Amino acid sequence: MKFECGDLERALANSDLFPEAREHLKSCAVCRREYRLWSEISSVARELHEEWDTPALWPSIRQAIEAERKPERIWWKQRKTWAAAAALVIAIVVPVGLWRHSVATAPPARTPAATTPTATRQTPTPDFLTEQALREVEKSEAAYRQSIAKLSQLAAPKLSTQSSPEVANEKERLALLDSAIAETRASVASNRFNIRLQTALADLYRQKQETLRDVLSHDAKN
Amino acid sequence: MVWEIGLPLPFAASLPEHPTETELAEACRRGQVRAFEHLYRVHSARMKSLAFHLLGSRADAEDTVQEAFLKVCRAARGFEGNSSLSTWIYRILINCCYDAIRKKQRLAENAAPAEFRAESNVTLKVALERALKALNERQRMVFLLFEVEGLRHSEIAAILEVPEGTSRSWLFEAKCQLKRMLTEAPK
Ligand SMILES: [Zn+2]
Repeated sequence: MKFECGDLERALANSDLFPEAREHLKSCAVCRREYRLWSEISSVARELHEEWDTPALWPSIRQAIEAERKPERIWWKQRKTWAAAAALVIAIVVPVGLWRHSVATAPPARTPAATTPTATRQTPTPDFLTEQALREVEKSEAAYRQSIAKLSQLAAPKLSTQSSPEVANEKERLALLDSAIAETRASVASNRFNIRLQTALADLYRQKQETLRDVLSHDAKN
Repeated sequence: MVWEIGLPLPFAASLPEHPTETELAEACRRGQVRAFEHLYRVHSARMKSLAFHLLGSRADAEDTVQEAFLKVCRAARGFEGNSSLSTWIYRILINCCYDAIRKKQRLAENAAPAEFRAESNVTLKVALERALKALNERQRMVFLLFEVEGLRHSEIAAILEVPEGTSRSWLFEAKCQLKRMLTEAPK
């Protein structure tokens, strides 16, 4: 079969025809030019890859991802939130204020034990927990409550039998903490993802744990 | 026992520096932002370039890449691993590009009949860029993915969900069409 100019495209698709095509290219300038163009299209195409710096793009994507994960993006605009916040202030600030007052007369605080949660750091934190973080927090909370239950059990005999000013002080503090914990837990129940509520709750648990340890430490000394 | 309140876990958890496909897919399913950041580092340059050629502007390309990543993030939990992660994200990107094109009603313009003529005073690169716009959708897509972005036919076939032979044949059609457009310059 004689190779003609019209066969060139078929030749480019099918390598079997290539030896014949090569022969034709030697004698045909038109096909030679087309063949050169065919190769050039591929090499020039590589230069079409468009590259430019976008330093703000990933931060913007990340921000958008985080914003989508916040279950209540406009939480601060909601009246319900303000009502809950006001209730929380009453539930936490008042008891803690009273507690601080009573602390002034209490014995010096013990050095926090190794199990003291790190959640009490006063560093600024994001407002909301993600689903997975929340699961972890709830798991930790359960462990925390278990540890407090154990300490309460150990401290119970001391608290019910002793009437020293120190123990009376601690009983009062524990009662205040219990009511603050109950209030905060109620708020957390309706706003589980709120990191500030969860942090406040963790702080209350930590205080309760420390108070119970104080009770037990008098026990050891007495 | 440590409370992780200060650092929500999906942001804090670690991902190996060179995660395997399985590790990366699992981290994506768990919604780890680091996993998406890894995908971004690996693929964003090509994604931007592809979106640029489909949409015609860098700003639109950036917006569309962002939209694609948000979709990837939303859908990651349900990623079943039937295709590779990269195949999956390119597929999402391409769909986002088409959405953007439709939104801007550019499709009609882009699908206009090929009336391109190479001009003697423009370089081949510019001429090729213009000729590309006159290709049909599938030809342009395969040409961009293979010749411009350097993907393999096996990858393109997976992204476009066609047999590998189809990808090869679309590329051939595209190149023939381009060659014709570039040689039919006015005398
Ligand atoms: Zn010829």
